[in-house]
Amino acid sequence: MADPRPIAHEEHLATHHAHGMRYVVVWIALLVLTVVTYAASRVHLPGGWHVAVALLIAIAKGALVALFFMHLWDQRGANRLIFVTSLAFVALLIGLTILDNATRFPLANPPGSAGALPWGGADRDPPKLPQ
Amino acid sequence: MSPSHASDVPVYNPRNYLNSPATGLKSWLLTQDHKRIGVMFLVAASVFFAVGGLFAMLIRIELLTPGPTIMDAMTYNRLFTLHGVVMIFLFMIPAIPSGFGNFLVPLMLGAKDVAFPKLNLLSFYLYMLGAVVALYGMIHGGADTGWTFYTPYSTTTVTKVVPILLGAFILGFSSILTGLNFIVTTHTMRAPGIGWNRVPLFVWSIYATSIIQILATPVLGMTLLLVAVENAFGWGIFDPARGGDPVLFQHFFWFYSHPAVYIMVLPAMAVISEVVCAFSRKNIFGYKAVAYSSLGIAFVGFFTWGHHLFVSGQSAFDAGVFGVLSMFVGIFTAIKVFNWTATLYQGSIAFKTPFAYFVGFLFFLVFGGMTGVAVATVSLDVHWHDTYFVVAHFHFIMVGATVMAFLAALHYWFPKITGRMYPEGWGLVGAVMVILGFNFTFIPQFLLGNEGMPRRYFSYPERFWALNVASTAGASVLAMGLVIVLVYLLISLKWGPIAGPNPWHSRGYEWDTASPPLPENFEETPVYTRGPHEYDEDSYANPPPVAPEPKHAS
Repeated sequence: MADPRPIAHEEHLATHHAHGMRYVVVWIALLVLTVVTYAASRVHLPGGWHVAVALLIAIAKGALVALFFMHLWDQRGANRLIFVTSLAFVALLIGLTILDNATRFPLANPPGSAGALPWGGADRDPPKLPQ
Repeated sequence: MSPSHASDVPVYNPRNYLNSPATGLKSWLLTQDHKRIGVMFLVAASVFFAVGGLFAMLIRIELLTPGPTIMDAMTYNRLFTLHGVVMIFLFMIPAIPSGFGNFLVPLMLGAKDVAFPKLNLLSFYLYMLGAVVALYGMIHGGADTGWTFYTPYSTTTVTKVVPILLGAFILGFSSILTGLNFIVTTHTMRAPGIGWNRVPLFVWSIYATSIIQILATPVLGMTLLLVAVENAFGWGIFDPARGGDPVLFQHFFWFYSHPAVYIMVLPAMAVISEVVCAFSRKNIFGYKAVAYSSLGIAFVGFFTWGHHLFVSGQSAFDAGVFGVLSMFVGIFTAIKVFNWTATLYQGSIAFKTPFAYFVGFLFFLVFGGMTGVAVATVSLDVHWHDTYFVVAHFHFIMVGATVMAFLAALHYWFPKITGRMYPEGWGLVGAVMVILGFNFTFIPQFLLGNEGMPRRYFSYPERFWALNVASTAGASVLAMGLVIVLVYLLISLKWGPIAGPNPWHSRGYEWDTASPPLPENFEETPVYTRGPHEYDEDSYANPPPVAPEPKHAS
């Protein structure tokens, strides 16, 4: 049987106890992470590590927003489960697609990409194919 | 029922959602009543079905002869793109979930409306807006990419792709909002007595569909935006000349579009689960298996997209993985098929029009599903890929199964929606023509594909001529059948005999209220003490003749 109490009411009860201080702390954390993003772009890193670092920071910021500003932290099991499920499907999309690139016949990958032949590096011109 | 006493004569519910609170155009356009929104979706989707069908007939007429018949090659390319876009985005995806789902889900849960009525109306207007934008793009320029918009062709073609992409993008939001509404409604608005094990099977399947709509549709939106961005700014995302990867597009596109096949087929299964119980007077065989296999299909449907990429340059390893994963869909579908047929066993079958469509559905689902298992086998797909075999396969599974279920639903719930009956005799004539016509159209295409005729081609060698003529002839029978259905349903709207609240003696919860239903669905919140498909009591297992006979031929 369905729960007779409206969900909005429960959400209100759950979030009522969250005091304003938390939002200030999260806001400062987001500002700090933004500065870190900028700083990391000035540091010399090899290969594709810039992208990896930027993505990691972006994920951390996104997580903070979803958890606190969007109240996921205060939610009960079902809503958390739904959110984690959606992350699992994102991982599925990225995972099986990258698996394709990683195991592909090398010439089928675009020059310069991770799965391409080594002589097609990012700093070189694409190889001349026989006409 | 053929009334023997004056008191048995079914009466038309005088105060219903069609005439109250008001009947004017404004009261419809601003309504938040899920039933009216459902009916508007049904009407709009049916119009687009007719438009898409018209394009299909033009394509078949063009293919009547090996060379040019009635149009040039460019027009042909645009036509088959239009056919695909209209049928998929404007008809099959919204028809059953947004149309029948909107009408029926709250009724089946004993609720007064969906959880978010205003979002529901917004969903309808987003649908209309997306349709207008897409149709604008089709009329002014029209795309020639096929409904799949494969890159790099779609980023380099001279035809106008962007408005159609934008239209599909907007339609996606309509789909997401509808799915969200159904999930929340199912979780929070079930009437007392409807535990999860008493949720009607229709709702279970619609629920599974909604999960796919919410999880997969954003990926389509993202992908279409990336194509538009590449078009506008020349970034190398999918174009290999600029360092992009066209296979990446296919990964993104099919991550949505393969589950989208289940957005079309799961609602069909939803309808069939109801119809098979009502017309065999039996409780469903294996309620939990049928209910959970809907979720199973929704889940494994996300793991199979790579089987569209077998010959695209995808790695052999990934192809093998996707080939194996694709087989799992067959397991869950088979569970449903076996349970439906087991439900028929020793049932008291009433061979009415919805049941006829159920029979057609079962054939198309099994035949289309088995050929699907075949084309998901990597080595076989190398031969069949991009031939008419694939065209016939997906028309069987997506169109055959979905249109059968759509027509079954239209007939089964016609008395619920309109309060009137359709002529049963004409109904069966229409069903026979549609089912036979569909077979005559697509079985020749299986043979053509196996002999090597490629899809999307404007002309073909003369050795394929005879089978193409057969296919066009079949399409004509199919079209004629659909016209008959349209005509008698339109006539029945005004002149059909009064149906009464439950002409089928169905046990479905939605039949517990008047037909057409009250504006607020139920006079008071119902309390359920039985399941939705229980025909165990003798009066329900062996009712009086199932449907009112029409008092006059139409």
